[in-house]
Amino acid sequence: MEEEQSLLTDEHRAMIGVPGEPATVVVREEDARRMRDVLGDTDPRWADGTGMAPPYVIAHFGGRGNRGGPTILPGGILTQQEWKFTRPFRIGEELKSVGQVFDIRERLGGRYGHSVLVTTSTDYYDGDGNHVGASLLTVTQFDPARAGKGGSE
Amino acid sequence: MSRYFEDVQVDEELEPVEKLPTEDLAIDFFGRGNPTNPAFADAEAGRRMGIGGALVPGALKMSWMTQYVSDWAGPEAQIASIRVAFRRPDVAGRPLILMGRVVDKRQDGGKNIVELEVVTVAEGQPSVRGNVAVELPARG
Repeated sequence: MEEEQSLLTDEHRAMIGVPGEPATVVVREEDARRMRDVLGDTDPRWADGTGMAPPYVIAHFGGRGNRGGPTILPGGILTQQEWKFTRPFRIGEELKSVGQVFDIRERLGGRYGHSVLVTTSTDYYDGDGNHVGASLLTVTQFDPARAGKGGSE
Repeated sequence: MSRYFEDVQVDEELEPVEKLPTEDLAIDFFGRGNPTNPAFADAEAGRRMGIGGALVPGALKMSWMTQYVSDWAGPEAQIASIRVAFRRPDVAGRPLILMGRVVDKRQDGGKNIVELEVVTVAEGQPSVRGNVAVELPARG
């Protein structure tokens, strides 16, 4: 029986918790309005003229300033995501985004076979340095040639 | 109408809501001209990925889930977090049903937090499972 070797190296582990270079994102009115209208969201709190943006505008920030995780296996699929909101977003505000590799784990078995779960996080801060929100993404990396050979989840 | 912390019961269920994701909706959500996954607009690209059609973006589904809870919670509430697991890909053109249930209520750091389990269901199968925490006002 083939023995599974760990795919993680000290180099991978050393990436965890190291913040990347900060970047800037702007909460743009046109993005907030477009996303709100596409969703059919009529909540008066983020209607035109309120100066507020709906929480899901975070989806448009797109991980800018994110520290990309390592590519350990060739296939990848987004399997988990999280948004946290410390306070509402304001139209026009500039936010500093700081990304990092939050966690790297291996998984044996399951639909993807021997896979690696890479979680990256991005935190957003306002001009006073106060935390505004955060986004976490977990991508399950796998070898497409070996996926499905580890049984079902 | 505002919803108050005291009035919420664990196991309380939200009215299901149906959404119809389309390729156009997905592209408009991110903005035409902004780079996105080609499989969001191109059914053939989705089929090459083994999805069976154009892929519905996860962020669009999370946004719907956020809106769903926000609408239920009322104008004095504030979404604190949403955490989801993508269980199955969703294909554009197939209706999604949003369903939710209160699973916990607690006071946390002086805040009145209600946690809901929210799921998207397509063709009878859950595709995204999530937990949404929302801060509600207290009466008086």
